[in-house]
Amino acid sequence: MTRTFSRIVETVADFFLIFIIVFGIYIITHGHLTPGGGFQGGVVLAAGILLLLVAHGFSFARKIPEELLSDLEAIGGIAFILLASLGFGQSFFYNILWHEKLAFAEQVGRFFSGGAIPLMNLSVGLKVVAGITSGMFALSLFGGEES
Amino acid sequence: MMVYLTAFALIMLGIAGMLFRRNLLKIIMALSVADSGAYLLLIAIGYRSGGTAPILTGYEGGPMVDPLPQALVLTAIVIGVCVLIMAVSLVVNVYRHYGTLDVSELRRLRG
Amino acid sequence: MNTIRSILAVSALLVILFTFILISFNPGYGLFSFGHPEEKSWRIALYKYYIENGANLSGGANIVTDIVFDLRGYDTLGEATVLFTAIAGALALLRRGGAK
Repeated sequence: MTRTFSRIVETVADFFLIFIIVFGIYIITHGHLTPGGGFQGGVVLAAGILLLLVAHGFSFARKIPEELLSDLEAIGGIAFILLASLGFGQSFFYNILWHEKLAFAEQVGRFFSGGAIPLMNLSVGLKVVAGITSGMFALSLFGGEES
Repeated sequence: MMVYLTAFALIMLGIAGMLFRRNLLKIIMALSVADSGAYLLLIAIGYRSGGTAPILTGYEGGPMVDPLPQALVLTAIVIGVCVLIMAVSLVVNVYRHYGTLDVSELRRLRG
Repeated sequence: MNTIRSILAVSALLVILFTFILISFNPGYGLFSFGHPEEKSWRIALYKYYIENGANLSGGANIVTDIVFDLRGYDTLGEATVLFTAIAGALALLRRGGAK
Protein backbone atom coordinates (compact mmCIF):
# COMPACT_ATOMS: atom_id res chain seq x y z
CA MET A 1 0.00 0.00 0.00
CA THR A 2 2.88 2.36 0.57
CA ARG A 3 4.63 1.92 -2.78
CA THR A 4 2.60 0.53 -5.65
CA PHE A 5 4.90 1.28 -8.58
CA SER A 6 8.61 1.63 -9.11
CA ARG A 7 10.54 4.87 -8.83
CA ILE A 8 10.55 5.23 -12.63
CA VAL A 9 6.78 5.46 -12.76
CA GLU A 10 6.74 8.00 -9.95
CA THR A 11 9.33 10.21 -11.64
CA VAL A 12 7.61 10.10 -15.03
CA ALA A 13 4.27 10.90 -13.41
CA ASP A 14 5.78 13.87 -11.58
CA PHE A 15 7.30 15.09 -14.83
CA PHE A 16 4.10 14.90 -16.84
CA LEU A 17 2.06 16.42 -14.05
CA ILE A 18 3.60 19.81 -14.88
CA PHE A 19 2.29 19.70 -18.43
CA ILE A 20 -1.13 18.50 -17.34
CA ILE A 21 -1.43 21.34 -14.85
CA VAL A 22 -0.31 23.95 -17.39
CA PHE A 23 -2.77 22.57 -19.93
CA GLY A 24 -5.61 22.60 -17.42
CA ILE A 25 -4.88 26.19 -16.38
CA TYR A 26 -4.75 27.19 -20.04
CA ILE A 27 -8.13 25.59 -20.68
CA ILE A 28 -9.65 27.35 -17.68
CA THR A 29 -8.27 30.81 -18.36
CA HIS A 30 -8.97 30.77 -22.10
CA GLY A 31 -12.44 29.31 -21.67
CA HIS A 32 -14.15 32.32 -23.23
CA LEU A 33 -11.99 32.31 -26.37
CA THR A 34 -11.21 28.73 -27.30
CA PRO A 35 -12.91 25.39 -26.65
CA GLY A 36 -12.92 24.72 -22.96
CA GLY A 37 -14.08 26.35 -19.79
CA GLY A 38 -14.21 25.88 -16.09
CA PHE A 39 -15.65 22.37 -16.01
CA GLN A 40 -13.37 20.90 -18.66
CA GLY A 41 -10.20 22.45 -17.27
CA GLY A 42 -11.17 21.43 -13.77
CA VAL A 43 -11.61 17.85 -14.87
CA VAL A 44 -8.21 17.94 -16.61
CA LEU A 45 -6.56 19.18 -13.40
CA ALA A 46 -8.38 16.52 -11.40
CA ALA A 47 -7.11 13.90 -13.85
CA GLY A 48 -3.57 15.15 -13.19
CA ILE A 49 -4.09 14.72 -9.47
CA LEU A 50 -5.51 11.25 -10.16
CA LEU A 51 -2.30 10.39 -12.03
CA LEU A 52 -0.32 11.49 -8.99
CA LEU A 53 -2.58 9.40 -6.77
CA VAL A 54 -2.19 6.25 -8.87
CA ALA A 55 1.57 6.62 -9.24
CA HIS A 56 2.35 7.34 -5.60
CA GLY A 57 -0.06 4.90 -4.00
CA PHE A 58 -3.30 5.62 -2.26
CA SER A 59 -1.65 6.64 0.99
CA PHE A 60 -0.56 9.80 -0.83
CA ALA A 61 -4.10 11.07 -0.39
CA ARG A 62 -3.60 11.31 3.37
CA LYS A 63 -0.96 13.99 2.95
CA ILE A 64 -3.40 16.52 1.51
CA PRO A 65 -5.62 17.96 4.25
CA GLU A 66 -9.35 17.74 3.71
CA GLU A 67 -9.83 21.25 5.04
CA LEU A 68 -7.86 22.71 2.13
CA LEU A 69 -10.09 21.05 -0.45
CA SER A 70 -13.21 22.01 1.43
CA ASP A 71 -12.10 25.64 1.65
CA LEU A 72 -11.24 25.73 -2.05
CA GLU A 73 -14.66 24.41 -3.02
CA ALA A 74 -16.38 26.89 -0.71
CA ILE A 75 -14.37 29.79 -2.16
CA GLY A 76 -15.29 28.71 -5.70
CA GLY A 77 -18.99 28.47 -4.95
CA ILE A 78 -19.15 31.75 -3.05
CA ALA A 79 -17.21 33.58 -5.77
CA PHE A 80 -19.57 32.20 -8.42
CA ILE A 81 -22.65 33.41 -6.59
CA LEU A 82 -21.11 36.80 -5.81
CA LEU A 83 -20.17 37.28 -9.47
CA ALA A 84 -23.67 36.31 -10.49
CA SER A 85 -25.25 38.71 -8.03
CA LEU A 86 -23.15 41.67 -9.18
CA GLY A 87 -25.83 42.56 -11.68
CA PHE A 88 -28.70 42.73 -9.26
CA GLY A 89 -29.72 46.12 -10.62
CA GLN A 90 -30.92 44.37 -13.74
CA SER A 91 -31.29 40.72 -12.86
CA PHE A 92 -29.43 37.82 -11.40
CA PHE A 93 -26.65 36.68 -13.80
CA TYR A 94 -26.72 40.04 -15.61
CA ASN A 95 -23.21 40.52 -16.96
CA ILE A 96 -22.73 44.04 -15.66
CA LEU A 97 -18.94 44.03 -16.05
CA TRP A 98 -19.36 43.64 -19.79
CA HIS A 99 -22.41 45.80 -20.41
CA GLU A 100 -21.21 48.75 -18.35
CA LYS A 101 -17.58 48.36 -19.54
CA LEU A 102 -16.26 48.14 -15.99
CA ALA A 103 -13.62 45.42 -16.32
CA PHE A 104 -12.68 42.72 -18.80
CA ALA A 105 -14.40 44.86 -21.40
CA GLU A 106 -12.11 44.91 -24.42
CA GLN A 107 -13.54 43.90 -27.77
CA VAL A 108 -14.74 40.38 -28.38
CA GLY A 109 -11.87 38.03 -29.03
CA ARG A 110 -9.27 39.71 -26.82
CA PHE A 111 -8.16 37.99 -23.62
CA PHE A 112 -9.60 40.65 -21.29
CA SER A 113 -13.11 40.41 -22.66
CA GLY A 114 -16.26 38.74 -21.57
CA GLY A 115 -16.98 40.59 -18.35
CA ALA A 116 -17.67 38.14 -15.57
CA ILE A 117 -17.26 35.04 -17.75
CA PRO A 118 -13.49 34.48 -17.23
CA LEU A 119 -13.88 35.06 -13.49
CA MET A 120 -16.80 32.62 -13.40
CA ASN A 121 -14.64 30.14 -15.31
CA LEU A 122 -11.95 30.48 -12.66
CA SER A 123 -14.34 30.01 -9.76
CA VAL A 124 -16.11 27.05 -11.33
CA GLY A 125 -12.77 25.50 -12.23
CA LEU A 126 -11.64 25.80 -8.61
CA LYS A 127 -14.89 24.25 -7.45
CA VAL A 128 -14.71 21.32 -9.85
CA VAL A 129 -11.05 20.60 -9.03
CA ALA A 130 -11.71 20.59 -5.30
CA GLY A 131 -14.94 18.59 -5.59
CA ILE A 132 -13.73 15.81 -7.86
CA THR A 133 -10.39 15.56 -6.06
CA SER A 134 -12.06 15.19 -2.67
CA GLY A 135 -14.43 12.58 -4.13
CA MET A 136 -11.51 10.59 -5.51
CA PHE A 137 -9.62 10.86 -2.23
CA ALA A 138 -12.62 9.69 -0.26
CA LEU A 139 -13.10 6.70 -2.56
CA SER A 140 -9.42 5.77 -2.46
CA LEU A 141 -8.99 6.19 1.28
CA PHE A 142 -12.05 4.15 2.18
CA GLY A 143 -11.41 0.99 4.14
CA GLY A 144 -7.74 1.64 4.68
CA GLU A 145 -8.18 2.84 8.21
CA GLU A 146 -9.56 -0.04 10.19
CA SER A 147 -7.85 -3.01 8.53
CA MET B 1 -27.66 9.19 -39.60
CA MET B 2 -25.50 6.43 -38.22
CA VAL B 3 -24.98 8.63 -35.18
CA TYR B 4 -28.64 8.38 -34.21
CA LEU B 5 -28.55 4.62 -34.51
CA THR B 6 -25.37 4.43 -32.45
CA ALA B 7 -26.86 6.66 -29.76
CA PHE B 8 -29.99 4.56 -29.49
CA ALA B 9 -27.97 1.37 -29.53
CA LEU B 10 -25.95 2.73 -26.60
CA ILE B 11 -29.08 3.73 -24.68
CA MET B 12 -30.75 0.36 -25.24
CA LEU B 13 -27.55 -1.46 -24.34
CA GLY B 14 -27.32 0.52 -21.13
CA ILE B 15 -30.93 -0.08 -20.14
CA ALA B 16 -30.69 -3.78 -20.96
CA GLY B 17 -27.54 -4.00 -18.88
CA MET B 18 -29.22 -2.21 -15.99
CA LEU B 19 -32.12 -4.64 -16.09
CA PHE B 20 -30.40 -7.94 -16.73
CA ARG B 21 -27.18 -7.68 -14.73
CA ARG B 22 -27.19 -8.59 -11.06
CA ASN B 23 -23.91 -7.08 -9.97
CA LEU B 24 -24.30 -3.55 -8.64
CA LEU B 25 -21.04 -2.31 -10.14
CA LYS B 26 -22.09 -3.60 -13.54
CA ILE B 27 -25.41 -1.81 -13.15
CA ILE B 28 -23.50 1.42 -12.56
CA MET B 29 -21.37 0.76 -15.65
CA ALA B 30 -24.54 0.24 -17.68
CA LEU B 31 -25.93 3.52 -16.32
CA SER B 32 -22.80 5.26 -17.53
CA VAL B 33 -23.14 3.68 -20.98
CA ALA B 34 -26.76 4.86 -21.23
CA ASP B 35 -25.58 8.34 -20.21
CA SER B 36 -23.10 8.35 -23.08
CA GLY B 37 -25.86 7.43 -25.49
CA ALA B 38 -27.96 10.37 -24.33
CA TYR B 39 -25.04 12.79 -24.75
CA LEU B 40 -24.38 11.48 -28.25
CA LEU B 41 -28.05 11.82 -29.20
CA LEU B 42 -28.25 15.44 -28.00
CA ILE B 43 -25.05 16.43 -29.79
CA ALA B 44 -26.26 14.74 -32.97
CA ILE B 45 -29.56 16.63 -32.84
CA GLY B 46 -27.65 19.90 -32.76
CA TYR B 47 -25.51 19.09 -35.79
CA ARG B 48 -25.70 21.01 -39.03
CA SER B 49 -23.96 19.60 -42.08
CA GLY B 50 -20.63 21.22 -42.74
CA GLY B 51 -20.80 23.14 -39.50
CA THR B 52 -17.86 24.32 -37.46
CA ALA B 53 -17.59 24.80 -33.73
CA PRO B 54 -19.65 27.75 -32.41
CA ILE B 55 -16.59 29.82 -31.54
CA LEU B 56 -15.82 33.22 -33.04
CA THR B 57 -12.04 32.99 -32.53
CA GLY B 58 -10.62 32.20 -35.94
CA TYR B 59 -14.04 31.92 -37.51
CA GLU B 60 -13.90 31.86 -41.32
CA GLY B 61 -17.53 31.79 -42.34
CA GLY B 62 -19.78 28.86 -43.02
CA PRO B 63 -22.47 27.36 -40.85
CA MET B 64 -22.02 26.70 -37.16
CA VAL B 65 -23.46 23.80 -35.19
CA ASP B 66 -26.11 24.51 -32.58
CA PRO B 67 -24.44 25.70 -29.36
CA LEU B 68 -27.40 25.05 -27.07
CA PRO B 69 -27.26 21.21 -26.97
CA GLN B 70 -23.54 21.43 -26.41
CA ALA B 71 -24.04 23.63 -23.36
CA LEU B 72 -26.72 21.34 -22.00
CA VAL B 73 -24.58 18.25 -22.58
CA LEU B 74 -21.74 19.96 -20.75
CA THR B 75 -24.07 20.33 -17.79
CA ALA B 76 -25.26 16.76 -18.15
CA ILE B 77 -21.74 15.32 -18.17
CA VAL B 78 -20.87 16.92 -14.85
CA ILE B 79 -24.14 15.74 -13.34
CA GLY B 80 -23.40 12.26 -14.68
CA VAL B 81 -20.06 12.31 -12.88
CA CYS B 82 -21.82 13.40 -9.68
CA VAL B 83 -24.32 10.57 -9.97
CA LEU B 84 -21.46 8.15 -10.58
CA ILE B 85 -19.57 9.28 -7.46
CA MET B 86 -22.71 9.07 -5.32
CA ALA B 87 -23.68 5.64 -6.68
CA VAL B 88 -20.20 4.21 -6.21
CA SER B 89 -20.03 5.41 -2.63
CA LEU B 90 -23.45 3.85 -1.95
CA VAL B 91 -22.27 0.57 -3.48
CA VAL B 92 -19.13 0.64 -1.36
CA ASN B 93 -21.27 1.00 1.72
CA VAL B 94 -23.60 -1.77 0.55
CA TYR B 95 -20.67 -4.12 0.14
CA ARG B 96 -19.35 -3.19 3.53
CA HIS B 97 -22.70 -3.82 5.16
CA TYR B 98 -23.89 -6.96 3.35
CA GLY B 99 -20.68 -8.48 2.07
CA THR B 100 -22.07 -9.00 -1.42
CA LEU B 101 -22.88 -7.03 -4.56
CA ASP B 102 -25.61 -9.32 -5.87
CA VAL B 103 -28.94 -7.53 -6.12
CA SER B 104 -31.01 -10.58 -5.34
CA GLU B 105 -29.06 -11.18 -2.13
CA LEU B 106 -29.91 -7.74 -0.83
CA ARG B 107 -33.60 -8.33 -0.32
CA ARG B 108 -33.53 -9.43 3.27
CA LEU B 109 -33.05 -6.91 6.00
CA ARG B 110 -30.16 -7.31 8.31
CA GLY B 111 -29.54 -5.53 11.56
CA MET C 1 -40.11 -12.45 -9.65
CA ASN C 2 -38.31 -13.21 -12.87
CA THR C 3 -41.43 -12.74 -15.00
CA ILE C 4 -42.02 -9.27 -13.51
CA ARG C 5 -38.44 -8.41 -14.24
CA SER C 6 -38.70 -9.60 -17.81
CA ILE C 7 -41.91 -7.65 -18.37
CA LEU C 8 -40.25 -4.54 -16.96
CA ALA C 9 -37.24 -5.03 -19.17
CA VAL C 10 -39.23 -5.56 -22.34
CA SER C 11 -41.48 -2.58 -21.64
CA ALA C 12 -38.52 -0.30 -20.95
CA LEU C 13 -36.88 -1.34 -24.19
CA LEU C 14 -40.18 -0.77 -26.00
CA VAL C 15 -40.39 2.74 -24.55
CA ILE C 16 -36.89 3.48 -25.78
CA LEU C 17 -37.80 2.13 -29.22
CA PHE C 18 -40.92 4.29 -29.30
CA THR C 19 -38.87 7.37 -28.43
CA PHE C 20 -36.46 6.47 -31.17
CA ILE C 21 -39.26 6.30 -33.74
CA LEU C 22 -40.74 9.55 -32.43
CA ILE C 23 -37.44 11.39 -32.71
CA SER C 24 -36.33 9.92 -35.98
CA PHE C 25 -39.48 10.91 -37.88
CA ASN C 26 -39.56 14.47 -36.59
CA PRO C 27 -39.19 16.78 -39.60
CA GLY C 28 -37.26 19.37 -37.62
CA TYR C 29 -34.28 17.36 -36.46
CA GLY C 30 -35.07 13.75 -37.30
CA LEU C 31 -33.14 10.91 -38.79
CA PHE C 32 -33.90 11.82 -42.38
CA SER C 33 -33.07 15.50 -42.05
CA PHE C 34 -29.83 14.91 -40.17
CA GLY C 35 -27.70 18.01 -40.58
CA HIS C 36 -30.35 19.83 -42.62
CA PRO C 37 -32.98 20.97 -40.15
CA GLU C 38 -35.97 22.80 -41.60
CA GLU C 39 -35.53 26.54 -41.70
CA LYS C 40 -38.98 27.22 -40.28
CA SER C 41 -38.67 25.22 -37.10
CA TRP C 42 -38.46 26.94 -33.71
CA ARG C 43 -35.06 25.42 -33.08
CA ILE C 44 -33.54 27.31 -35.99
CA ALA C 45 -34.86 30.63 -34.69
CA LEU C 46 -33.22 30.05 -31.30
CA TYR C 47 -30.06 28.84 -32.99
CA LYS C 48 -29.80 31.94 -35.15
CA TYR C 49 -30.44 34.19 -32.17
CA TYR C 50 -27.66 32.57 -30.18
CA ILE C 51 -25.20 32.56 -33.05
CA GLU C 52 -25.79 36.19 -34.04
CA ASN C 53 -26.24 37.85 -30.66
CA GLY C 54 -24.42 35.60 -28.22
CA ALA C 55 -21.09 37.40 -28.42
CA ASN C 56 -22.65 40.86 -28.07
CA LEU C 57 -24.90 39.81 -25.21
CA SER C 58 -22.20 38.39 -23.00
CA GLY C 59 -18.85 39.26 -24.50
CA GLY C 60 -17.17 35.90 -24.92
CA ALA C 61 -16.03 34.59 -28.27
CA ASN C 62 -16.94 31.04 -27.29
CA ILE C 63 -20.70 30.90 -27.62
CA VAL C 64 -21.02 27.69 -25.63
CA THR C 65 -19.37 29.41 -22.68
CA ASP C 66 -21.65 32.40 -23.15
CA ILE C 67 -24.69 30.16 -22.93
CA VAL C 68 -23.38 28.20 -19.97
CA PHE C 69 -22.31 31.13 -17.83
CA ASP C 70 -24.50 34.00 -18.91
CA LEU C 71 -27.59 33.29 -20.96
CA ARG C 72 -28.47 30.13 -19.07
CA GLY C 73 -26.66 30.81 -15.85
CA TYR C 74 -29.35 29.27 -13.68
CA ASP C 75 -28.54 25.88 -15.19
CA THR C 76 -24.95 26.28 -14.10
CA LEU C 77 -25.98 27.39 -10.63
CA GLY C 78 -28.12 24.28 -10.22
CA GLU C 79 -25.34 22.15 -11.58
CA ALA C 80 -22.89 23.60 -9.07
CA THR C 81 -25.42 22.81 -6.35
CA VAL C 82 -25.72 19.24 -7.60
CA LEU C 83 -21.94 18.87 -7.65
CA PHE C 84 -21.63 20.20 -4.11
CA THR C 85 -24.46 18.00 -2.81
CA ALA C 86 -23.14 14.87 -4.47
CA ILE C 87 -19.62 15.39 -3.14
CA ALA C 88 -20.96 16.16 0.33
CA GLY C 89 -23.11 13.01 0.24
CA ALA C 90 -20.23 10.86 -0.95
CA LEU C 91 -17.92 12.25 1.72
CA ALA C 92 -20.56 11.68 4.39
CA LEU C 93 -21.04 8.09 3.25
CA LEU C 94 -17.33 7.35 2.94
CA ARG C 95 -15.99 9.06 6.01
CA ARG C 96 -14.09 7.10 8.59
CA GLY C 97 -16.41 4.49 9.98
CA GLY C 98 -18.93 4.75 7.16
CA ALA C 99 -22.69 4.74 7.51
CA LYS C 100 -23.63 2.76 10.58
